[in-house]
Amino acid sequence: MSSIIISENDFLKFKEYFYRKTGMLFEDSKRYFVDKRLIERIEATESDNFRSYFNTLRFEASGDELQQLVNAMTVNETYFFREEYQFKCLVNSMLDEITHKKKDNSPIRIWSVPSASGEEPYSIAIYLLEHWSGIDKWDVEIMSSDIDTKIVAQAKRGHYSPRSVMNLSKPILDKYFIPQGGGYQICEDLRQAVEFSRVNIMEPADVRTFRNIDVIFCRNLLIYFDDTSRRQAAEMFFDSMKAGGFICLGHSESMSRISSLFRVRKFPEAIVYQKPLEAL
Amino acid sequence: MAFIKKQTSQVINEDERKTPRDFNGLCVELNHEDSKVRRWAVRDLAEQLNASSVLVTRLEHEDDASVRTAILNALAKLGDTIAMNGLVACLRSEEAALRNEAIEILKELPYEVEPIIDGLLTDADSDVRIFAVNILESLRHQHVEQWLIGVIEKDPHVNVCSTALDLLSEVGSELAIPAIEKLKARFPDEPYVCFSADLALKRIEEGSR
Repeated sequence: MSSIIISENDFLKFKEYFYRKTGMLFEDSKRYFVDKRLIERIEATESDNFRSYFNTLRFEASGDELQQLVNAMTVNETYFFREEYQFKCLVNSMLDEITHKKKDNSPIRIWSVPSASGEEPYSIAIYLLEHWSGIDKWDVEIMSSDIDTKIVAQAKRGHYSPRSVMNLSKPILDKYFIPQGGGYQICEDLRQAVEFSRVNIMEPADVRTFRNIDVIFCRNLLIYFDDTSRRQAAEMFFDSMKAGGFICLGHSESMSRISSLFRVRKFPEAIVYQKPLEAL
Repeated sequence: MAFIKKQTSQVINEDERKTPRDFNGLCVELNHEDSKVRRWAVRDLAEQLNASSVLVTRLEHEDDASVRTAILNALAKLGDTIAMNGLVACLRSEEAALRNEAIEILKELPYEVEPIIDGLLTDADSDVRIFAVNILESLRHQHVEQWLIGVIEKDPHVNVCSTALDLLSEVGSELAIPAIEKLKARFPDEPYVCFSADLALKRIEEGSR
């Protein structure tokens, strides 16, 4: 049992600071969760108390401890149809606007980054097949990238635990997956539908070929970047997108806090960000 | 299915970078009428060590926000004296968006800001001094508290002191207590200063228990 105590005042101080830095706001109901992780980090850094830890957090030039804390405070978990409202927004709002403005028959390009183990790009593919009538008329190119070659290989394999597919209905599971080895193997057609690649989004040479993208899904990645890297990533996304293209971030992330390059678009299903059609 | 695979050898037809990327060529493109071309010139100039001067010059009359953002980020990346002076000059701009963007960038440059912060905190313009305190808000530097204490001890402008006091209530330690007490005495007729000072003292005392 730790002797470290996080007072009400400490919690408020931390809450304000963490919100300012990350956009993540913890309500009082999350107090136990926050206290537990703060105490873990205070002990891990061998700080005497909250105050000395908070000083490290605020003033450490490298920002390493802030990153450690962000990692501790975020739940790094992915599964099919996670944050489904954005997929609904894709098929009900974004794609209609994109196809309406298209002047040629070029494919619609969707980039999902980071791919993690593939749940997101495959979810996009399934969602388009199941819920977007335009799939009969338009070619769609789904690209997905991750910095980690092992996870890219895993995504290409497309084998998932029951937990990963917990949000999928039985008809969807039956249609696109084959039960295998206690888990589920995604069907070959879907495996072939997504182009996976290893990409470091901070490396200009890696992203140079990603151009004219219509929709980017970049959810729960920028939260792990420092402010400078977030802005650089926003610039990279801006350059990789078509004018009028959309970018979807995670529910606790806000492009408005990162960069003024994009416009906020409020659709009935979700708030997303758009590269303006005209020069800014 | 209408899914197609990306061709990795695909020709990028619409890449705006059509000319050689040498320094002189990029400087010419920096004044191109198309904002996309200017933006790419900035992005590529950010990789060249001697580019700060031309970027600062362009920033002075750049009216496209996407190009301006690219210039500010390029100056942050270059981080030399000319680049820092260019970012600091934005603090004097009449345009709030440009000022705010520069402040956000300066907040992330603790090593580069250290040699110039004293000058900013004692600038003749009280608005610039407030912006300097705004930079300290998220600056990851061990001297932040000392700089803030210096402000509330010496700055004659109540708004500058109030801004610093607000921040001290978050980052202040026992070291700040005497300066906060003196500030209250210096502005006894300013209710906001007295309120903020009491709040800061309360928070510091609670934090030290």
